[in-house]
Amino acid sequence: MTKILQGHHLTKRFRGLVALHDVSFELNRGEILGLIGPNGAGKSTLVSLISGTLTPTSGALTFEGRSLLKITTHHRAHLGIGRTFQVMKPFPGLSVLDNVCVGALFGRDGGEHRLEAAREAAHACLEFVGLGHRVHQRAEALGGPDRKRLELAKALAMKPKLLLCDEVMAGLNHVEIEEVIEVIRKVRDQGISILVIEHVMKAIQSLSDRLLVLHHGEKIADGPPREVLADPRVVEAYLGRRRS
Amino acid sequence: MTRRTRRVLVTLAIGLPLLAALPWIASPVVVQFGINMLIMATLAQGWNIIGGYTGYSSFGNSVFFGLGAYGVGIAMAQFEQPFWIGLGLGLLLAVIFALAIGLPVLRLKGHYFAIATLGLAEVVTAIVSNVPIAGQNVGLVLPLLKSDVLFYELSLGLLLLATLTVFWLSRSRFGLGLIAIRENEEAAAVMGVNTTRYKILAFMLSAALTSLAGGVYAYYITFIDPAGAFDISLNVKMIIMAVFGGPGTVLGPVAGALLLSVLSEVLASKVTNIAGLFFGLVIIVAVVLMPRGLADLLQKFRRSGWRYFAQNIRSHRL
Repeated sequence: MTKILQGHHLTKRFRGLVALHDVSFELNRGEILGLIGPNGAGKSTLVSLISGTLTPTSGALTFEGRSLLKITTHHRAHLGIGRTFQVMKPFPGLSVLDNVCVGALFGRDGGEHRLEAAREAAHACLEFVGLGHRVHQRAEALGGPDRKRLELAKALAMKPKLLLCDEVMAGLNHVEIEEVIEVIRKVRDQGISILVIEHVMKAIQSLSDRLLVLHHGEKIADGPPREVLADPRVVEAYLGRRRS
Repeated sequence: MTRRTRRVLVTLAIGLPLLAALPWIASPVVVQFGINMLIMATLAQGWNIIGGYTGYSSFGNSVFFGLGAYGVGIAMAQFEQPFWIGLGLGLLLAVIFALAIGLPVLRLKGHYFAIATLGLAEVVTAIVSNVPIAGQNVGLVLPLLKSDVLFYELSLGLLLLATLTVFWLSRSRFGLGLIAIRENEEAAAVMGVNTTRYKILAFMLSAALTSLAGGVYAYYITFIDPAGAFDISLNVKMIIMAVFGGPGTVLGPVAGALLLSVLSEVLASKVTNIAGLFFGLVIIVAVVLMPRGLADLLQKFRRSGWRYFAQNIRSHRL
């Protein structure tokens, strides 16, 4: 398998706080990589380094063989990196359709420049995530679960090669989680590589081909879900040390 | 989208001939008032691009106005060039200034951007007051052209140009990129909008329209000096008019400028001394009851009725 994304010894410091320390990882083409870890482990920081809203203090990052470090945020979108935000960032004043339309107009390779074609593409993305019936509402009128879907549709409209999902299932109920898992699987079937951050353990276990575990900014495990979740260090990070 | 498009076109089709015919039916005083009103509307529309669509409250637009005025002033008074050359010179000055100043200043957000641009007017006034070719702080006297009808139609043409520009903006990829920046700049960048380039282009476009209005105004009043041309209160007026009408809409700023101009004129003639007080009161009431402007009021009032005002008061925690 070829590697679409590689990180080498990534470190991110916010003054005194080390959010990420010497993290190396890779993501294969067409793979779903689950990124887990307790709160404050540095998961969202890692996603921000990849999407370009943060720059690493040290380390290297390559996407399809080229270094990302000197590449601006919007240019990374043109290369094919799309992300959702954990704290959702819709364009509240725009309609749901226009929100997604921005992704279609500006995404990979600079996006589709014709407005009508972009609208159609956006509409298809909204159907895909199950928001087809709410296209003309304002984004601020959507409730929590629908906002998660909107985030996903916005990222998908960019036609990414790599999709970064930052907690798209948080706050959803069981039925909605199943729906989102189904959507993400379908996205992968289109050949898109995916990095998923998730707290819902059951969901990520069934969804991911591989798991990467962060704890206090350091990588403590990396491998197939079953093995990783049985790793004593991972259990300790989540549940604490067993007193005996 | 189509309904909105039709509304804009219908408004233009009815409003434009009426406005264009005004100088032939109205008295000279009304025509002079009309020129001021149309120029204010153009300025509000120019501000709408950077402030309304892109979400950057610029206090630097009065500088663009002044540069436009000085372009005409310098070309006509110092070099005896025709008006059009001066207009082009002012346009060039303003657009270059927007580019040069936009690069550092558009990195700032919200209040910081407003404060930084607020300082610009003072700086440029001080510079122009010391440039011999710009007449230093004495100012420049332009050749007199006594044809209010011409200036009126010119101002109207300019307003039409500004409004058509914004109309195009409102339904273009570029415009949607600007709105995305206004709504959430980080998300816009992540989705592939070249935010730096878009913001600067918006600033330059705003500068171009504003400088043209400044150029026309300079020729109309035939005298410019630094304090008058770079008057910061003019910038405040643009913002009030654009926000009163509805920032980020095609016709809102024009409606705001026309209504408020008429209102302040009527107040000035009825209650001369305390006109400013009443004008201020109107602004305060408008901001409290309809903070998103006339356009939003017209849209939502039909659905919510009088509750619209109560909702605004509540949602803005006044």
